[in-house]
Amino acid sequence: MSESLIDVAAPEHAAPQPDEQFDQRRRPSIWSALRRGKGLAGVLLVGAVVALGLLAPLLAPHSPTEQIPGANLVGPSGAHWLGTDEVNRDLLSRTLFGIRTDLVVVFLAVPIGAAIGILVGLVSSWWTFTDVVAQRVFDLVLAFPTLILAIALTAFVGPGLRTVFFVILAVELPVFGRLTRTSVRTVREMPYVEAAHVVGAGSWWQLRRHVLPNSMEPLLVQLAVSMSVAVFIEGAMSFLGLGVRPPAPSLGSLIRDGVRNMYDAPYFAVGPLALVVALVLGLLLVSQALAEARRA
Amino acid sequence: MPDLEVSVSTPVLEVRDLAISFSHPRPAVRSVSVTVDQGEVVALVGESGSGKSMTARAVIGLLPDGAVATGSVRLRGEEVLGLPEAELVKVRGRRVAMVFQEPQTALNPVRTIGWQIGEALRAHGGSRGRAARERAVELLRQVEIPDPEERLGFYPHQLSGGQKQRVVLALALANEPELLLADEPTTALDVTVQAEILALLRRIRDRTGTSILIITHNMGVVAHLADRVVVLRQGEVVEEAETRELFAAPRHAYTRQLLAAVPRLPGPGELVQALPAEPAPDAVPALEYDDVRVHYGSRMRGRVLPAVDGVTLRLERGEVLGLVGESGSGKTTLGRLAAGLVPLAGGRVRVGGEDLAAARGRRRVDLRRRLAFVHQDPEASLDPRFSIGEAIREPLDVHGVGSRQSREQRVLELLDAVRLPASFAGRRPRELSGGQRQRVALARALTLEPQLLIADEPTSALDVSVQAEVLELFADLQRRLGFACVFISHDLAVVNKVADQVAVLRAGKVVESGSAARVFGEPAHDYTRRLLDAVPVPDPTVRDATGPALHPHVAAS
Amino acid sequence: MGAYLLRRLPSALVVLAVASFAIFAMVRLVPGDPVATLAGPDASPEARAEIAAELGLDQPLVTQYVTWLGQLAHLDLGTSYRIGGQVSDLVADGAVNTIVLTIAALLLAVAVALVSSVLAVVLDKRWVNAALSFGNTLAIALPTFVTGLVLILLFAVVFPVLPAGGTPPDGFIARPDIAAQYLLLPAVCLALGAGAALTRFLTEALRTEMRQPYVTTARALGISRRRIVLTQALRNALPSTITVLGIQFGTLLGGAVLVEAIFTWPGLGGLIEEAISGRDYPLVQVLLLLSVAVFVAVQLLTDVVHAWLDPRVRIGGAA
Repeated sequence: MSESLIDVAAPEHAAPQPDEQFDQRRRPSIWSALRRGKGLAGVLLVGAVVALGLLAPLLAPHSPTEQIPGANLVGPSGAHWLGTDEVNRDLLSRTLFGIRTDLVVVFLAVPIGAAIGILVGLVSSWWTFTDVVAQRVFDLVLAFPTLILAIALTAFVGPGLRTVFFVILAVELPVFGRLTRTSVRTVREMPYVEAAHVVGAGSWWQLRRHVLPNSMEPLLVQLAVSMSVAVFIEGAMSFLGLGVRPPAPSLGSLIRDGVRNMYDAPYFAVGPLALVVALVLGLLLVSQALAEARRA
Repeated sequence: MPDLEVSVSTPVLEVRDLAISFSHPRPAVRSVSVTVDQGEVVALVGESGSGKSMTARAVIGLLPDGAVATGSVRLRGEEVLGLPEAELVKVRGRRVAMVFQEPQTALNPVRTIGWQIGEALRAHGGSRGRAARERAVELLRQVEIPDPEERLGFYPHQLSGGQKQRVVLALALANEPELLLADEPTTALDVTVQAEILALLRRIRDRTGTSILIITHNMGVVAHLADRVVVLRQGEVVEEAETRELFAAPRHAYTRQLLAAVPRLPGPGELVQALPAEPAPDAVPALEYDDVRVHYGSRMRGRVLPAVDGVTLRLERGEVLGLVGESGSGKTTLGRLAAGLVPLAGGRVRVGGEDLAAARGRRRVDLRRRLAFVHQDPEASLDPRFSIGEAIREPLDVHGVGSRQSREQRVLELLDAVRLPASFAGRRPRELSGGQRQRVALARALTLEPQLLIADEPTSALDVSVQAEVLELFADLQRRLGFACVFISHDLAVVNKVADQVAVLRAGKVVESGSAARVFGEPAHDYTRRLLDAVPVPDPTVRDATGPALHPHVAAS
Repeated sequence: MGAYLLRRLPSALVVLAVASFAIFAMVRLVPGDPVATLAGPDASPEARAEIAAELGLDQPLVTQYVTWLGQLAHLDLGTSYRIGGQVSDLVADGAVNTIVLTIAALLLAVAVALVSSVLAVVLDKRWVNAALSFGNTLAIALPTFVTGLVLILLFAVVFPVLPAGGTPPDGFIARPDIAAQYLLLPAVCLALGAGAALTRFLTEALRTEMRQPYVTTARALGISRRRIVLTQALRNALPSTITVLGIQFGTLLGGAVLVEAIFTWPGLGGLIEEAISGRDYPLVQVLLLLSVAVFVAVQLLTDVVHAWLDPRVRIGGAA
């Protein structure tokens, strides 16, 4: 037992002692969650769909709007892997180009909505007055179910990809605004932010150096969730005829066409359905992996 | 174990060569053997990482997932280690029961006290209906809760912290266990409440003959309650002895170090320290509270309660003012007020003669440069994303002081000042122990050479030996750098160690203030005396002299 | 308790008032003129003016709004421009179908969530958790229009055992067995997402509760895990679950629009689509306002239930 005397004398310089129930291993960045298991599966799914969309001009055998003589509603075959639609267009080509519409929505509309929402949440939550106003506005927007909001907005600006874009902005802005506010409220009460405040750091300093970086993780998880919701919104709106205008394809509008021809060509919608599921599932898996890594 | 007393009857508890390990390398418990006889109170003492809580949890079969325990745990000779869950359920509560540290969360918030006691009785096929109710009342009476019939319908949030701990105790006693495990049962309580609970535990042992294994880090609690002490360190038994013997002649160096690290209050007859030299009376004080008031609760909801109610205090330059009091006394609010973290409802706070609340723009920034704040919680006082160097440098960055190189130089100086190696600058807070983190927080606070430092319970989350070192470091830095300090603590002995002046607070008012030596040596106010008396003295002879210290009437509070 | 409701009521009313004005103003700003649509392309200016006057469209916006509020207060919802008939009748007809569908889906979702999450937490077996998590992720990941199609393809086209769409011909009361057949597919389709989200939340909430100190206290008293989950953890997890249920209700309302379209279920979803494409102002206003009102009411209800379930809110602290 004599060796124990040595570190009694200088316990603080010795390696940190793990507490009884406390594991002090250094927590890896939450990004590493995307390199294994669920996260990896999600990244691969999303990556595959994105690659198909980006490479559509190279992969597609036909133009998405080209009408092929004599190929009316044919089933899957060697010439047309996914078959053709009622106006003789190659479904594989339409599906590949249709992915691009969803990519715009997922990787452009959602991040823009998120960025604006974060900014509004960040700035408004610092003062009581703006905070109350912003919260009430968010309440108001969120009081409309997404699809009803989408229908109402369509009445305002007419159907089209632009409308889908607006709906996603309108839905995501309050979601991110609110989440940011919650994070800001939590983080700004943290002793390390108070310590900076006491020595004279201004609001902007506190927000930029402490609050925003420490709020990033929940926002990141929400971003992945919102992206999967965006695929859903695009699909649902196009399905209801509120999304992209024909002849431009999107995954949702292809599914709508598939329903119309369900009894004549039951396999019509299989391709777009699979892609929608892959995209939503992939993004969801990414969000779950990130959320679990955060909690660990 | 030849030094163990051989008793004729089988011991209530016999733990032999217990070892507990997790997936990560160091075992939580390496080799622990403890015996508890009928009606005996045994204390397991140790700092964090000693394995004391894990040992208790192994006895009741509640080890966390992934823990593997080997060795033997016998209750009246029957092995319980490794029993299947279905068998353990019969042992828990019936033969061994446990009381936990945090009474605020140990009770189900949405069930009444009566329901929870009833549930404990039902678990072992005990009485139901009317009989259960009578038994519940009897149990509440046993733990000295007033109006037990009425209290049965109460929810936990309607009770005070001390009363909650009594209810937890009543639950544990519901099925008349032979052995009661008490894991830091008074650590989360105020000193006066702690004294009551300790007295109650002794009376329960005397009345029912229940054996008690108490887990604690507090040598005062040990001296007050235990018959025998087992000192643990890093999962091993370091020393075991009768309480008196251990305090009188500790054999092991670690025990001696542990005892030496405990801050003590001067005894009633002890000499009052010499007073520090009085500063020139016309000098501008470092901090002045002038009839300050703070309210909490919102005016819109119509419930405004004073948190600080007309406090006037003065702190001279280079002095340390200790603020002491129990929870809800307003001591923390006063500290936060000096740091400008709480809005003032009335009065004035002047830092170095200037009104902090009235200062604007550049003046405010300049004024803030003279301030620094050290928070209680070492877990949260450093931004997890900042390296230690960045954290210490932050105040310099905020005010744009010096060049990049001079800032780095300053970081190294400060690390050295708080006796941490320069290599720590690149580490993250997660890699540091609690004591190390508090040193970093102290270094960061000193970066801009403040004139006033506010330290809110800076050592209360630390182990005694670490606390002793941090306190010594603090006192040394304070002497060298000469900053004034508001030192907030619930621990009177800690304040006694560092403070020149002391203010005793109660319900937002100053009860008594003056030099530390005078207030602690010759308290003028009755409340101060009660506070001082309630602190368990780390000396078993004091307990035997005063007998069961507290009067039952205090329990009614 | 009454005081609590009283405190929450003003903010709910404010949301409702602002929403009503927003809806009213937005509908009027929509491009597309209902007068032109109603009168036809060849109508004379006099005929147009007459129609406008009849509809009150020649009045200032604020006057129109006040008049509309007054009519709403008397439950006089006006006449539909395009579809024809009283708005109140149209709404009432659609509402019955939508309510039946939504409530059926809600009950289904709650039942699934309660059973599967309690089972998962009580058993606490690795494979149960894995299976549940897999099924859950899948149910959340499958958009309603996908599951709807798959369900129709499977149970109405490939194995024609259930009707592919429509409402029961004899109503919901006369032949409950037939009604159940018609209701099954759309209700399952609508319930799937909400049920999965609810299960996920409740399971996580129960697990969190099981890590709380009071559960350790209960376990140390020898109370079995099953009993702790059922009588203590569930009771503690309930308030927050109710709140989530309220939010999911909004999702259900939105999802109903889609499900009604997939299963040709004549409810409010179809009505609102029709009304908007036909610029039928009175109908659009009422439907949008109705959806907001229902949502606000549900939020209020969940808040109140939440408070009532939590004694810390119900009975203020005495200590």
